[in-house]
Amino acid sequence: MRQEFYKTLLSPLWLVVLALAVVVPPLLPSYYLHIVILSLVYVALASAWNIVGGMAGQISLAHSLFIGTGAMLSSALLLKLGINMWLGLVISALVSGAMGAIIAWIDFRFQLGHLSFVLITLAFAEMGTVIVEGWEFLGGASGLLLPRDTGNFWAFQFGGGIGAFWAMLVLAIASILINVAVLNAPLGYYLRTIRDNENAARAIGVNILRYKIAAMVISAMLSSVIGTAYVRYLTFADPYLLVSPIIIIEIVLFATVGGLGRAYGPAFGALLLVPLGEILRGKLGGTLPGLHYFIYGVVVIAVILMSPRGLLPLFENWWARLRSRPVATKQG
Amino acid sequence: MLEVEHLVTGYGGVPVLHDVSLRLGAGELVGLLGANNAGKTTLINSLSGVVPPMSGRIRFEGQDVTAMTPKQRVEIGIIQVPEGRLVFPEMSVRENLLLGGINARARAHRPRQMEHVLELFPRLRERLGQKAGTLSGGEQQMLAIGRALMAEARLLMLDEPSLGLSPLFVQYIFGIIDRLHAEGLSILLIEQNLNLTLRHAQRCYVLERGKVAIEGASDVVKDDPRTRRAYLGL
Repeated sequence: MRQEFYKTLLSPLWLVVLALAVVVPPLLPSYYLHIVILSLVYVALASAWNIVGGMAGQISLAHSLFIGTGAMLSSALLLKLGINMWLGLVISALVSGAMGAIIAWIDFRFQLGHLSFVLITLAFAEMGTVIVEGWEFLGGASGLLLPRDTGNFWAFQFGGGIGAFWAMLVLAIASILINVAVLNAPLGYYLRTIRDNENAARAIGVNILRYKIAAMVISAMLSSVIGTAYVRYLTFADPYLLVSPIIIIEIVLFATVGGLGRAYGPAFGALLLVPLGEILRGKLGGTLPGLHYFIYGVVVIAVILMSPRGLLPLFENWWARLRSRPVATKQG
Repeated sequence: MLEVEHLVTGYGGVPVLHDVSLRLGAGELVGLLGANNAGKTTLINSLSGVVPPMSGRIRFEGQDVTAMTPKQRVEIGIIQVPEGRLVFPEMSVRENLLLGGINARARAHRPRQMEHVLELFPRLRERLGQKAGTLSGGEQQMLAIGRALMAEARLLMLDEPSLGLSPLFVQYIFGIIDRLHAEGLSILLIEQNLNLTLRHAQRCYVLERGKVAIEGASDVVKDDPRTRRAYLGL
């Protein structure tokens, strides 16, 4: 199973990605570069969430808490205490990991069912919003404004634009590779046994608590790191964007549309839906306000009806059928 | 091998089993009978550690296992085949079997044990690469038993293996149970199917409303008029 990971790691396709990454962004107008960067942010976030939401089948809505911690706490540490943002990134990730572990423990201890888990994690997310808004240290309701990004790497600055693109690309790829690694490691198998049937998992001796915590901690820390990088790109730590349940609903949506529990599914969903949403808003938002939401909604509903397991499995099937079909011969 | 003394188990403080005691010797095939709601599954779940007991004691080969977690019990060889053939539907038959042997004791012997299981269930060998969810009910039951054997069970607890199977498959599964018994495995068999269980088990316990109503050799239990009464819940 491990060779699967190395095969992915050494795939020649990465050279294509690298070539595209070098050539394309400098050619893009800044608005389109922004869409690309935003897509990468959500590729990374949806893939990070997938470890808990997809593989272990636990629809966690608490991830806005981890993204928010990565964004708000690291910003606050920099602005209020002068702590370097690299260190802030590490501290935030540790705090997020600890919160994730506590949530996983609560889930295990009280044997939460699927719905209760969703609701409890939503409650945590809401609690996070309230705490950030009410705590001046974290910027309160008005948020925090980071210093201008001058491209000083040691101060966690990437120079915006192309620099931010590279930072996000690295994070998105790292997040996907962690997915591939987890899926092919024993942890991935154990998580799927928990998702498919917790009782059967117990019957074969899977340590449910340990693996639930492991999944949640990995996913939470990753989300936190992405949150820190995202806020650096945005420069403004906006609690209504970064700690709101909206962000996590979007992530769940992208992951579901792309294909839950698969290594590339959530990334696929984000790459498809983020540009679609942005472009629809850009083209229609001015002339027919609200219409872009409508079209976006119709597309999402159509996808879910057409392929409840996500778009990636659908494309895989098409691809397999195309390859197995005999070459057509001309007649008459 | 297995001794259960004065076990009281329940959910949310309400006992379902009242003062249940039973014994199972090494290599024995013991049946556990009872109507719906008699507490059969609760008993097996407290033996596997999924439902913690409220009081009483469970000993396995002289060792007190009452406070052990389900995982620790798997490690010492107490393996449950849960009711309803709970296989992992999205994974292949091979993956399901390999996952059965993840405990520290069994892990090293997985290839050998796999060969044993596939010899026992040739049908599974043909389906190794197939997703478990696409198997028929009978095949899933084979897989569930095979997965438990991969764990190197020393005490195999089968929860209603005949549930929802066609008569032919039921016969087949009971043939397998007989064969495992003949190989020396200790088996606790939970069943609703009265006659079948009495025919295959050496001894039986009949549970009635969370208590052991009747116990003894299968022939004795069979002729006891109370058995049928307990069964019909009269």
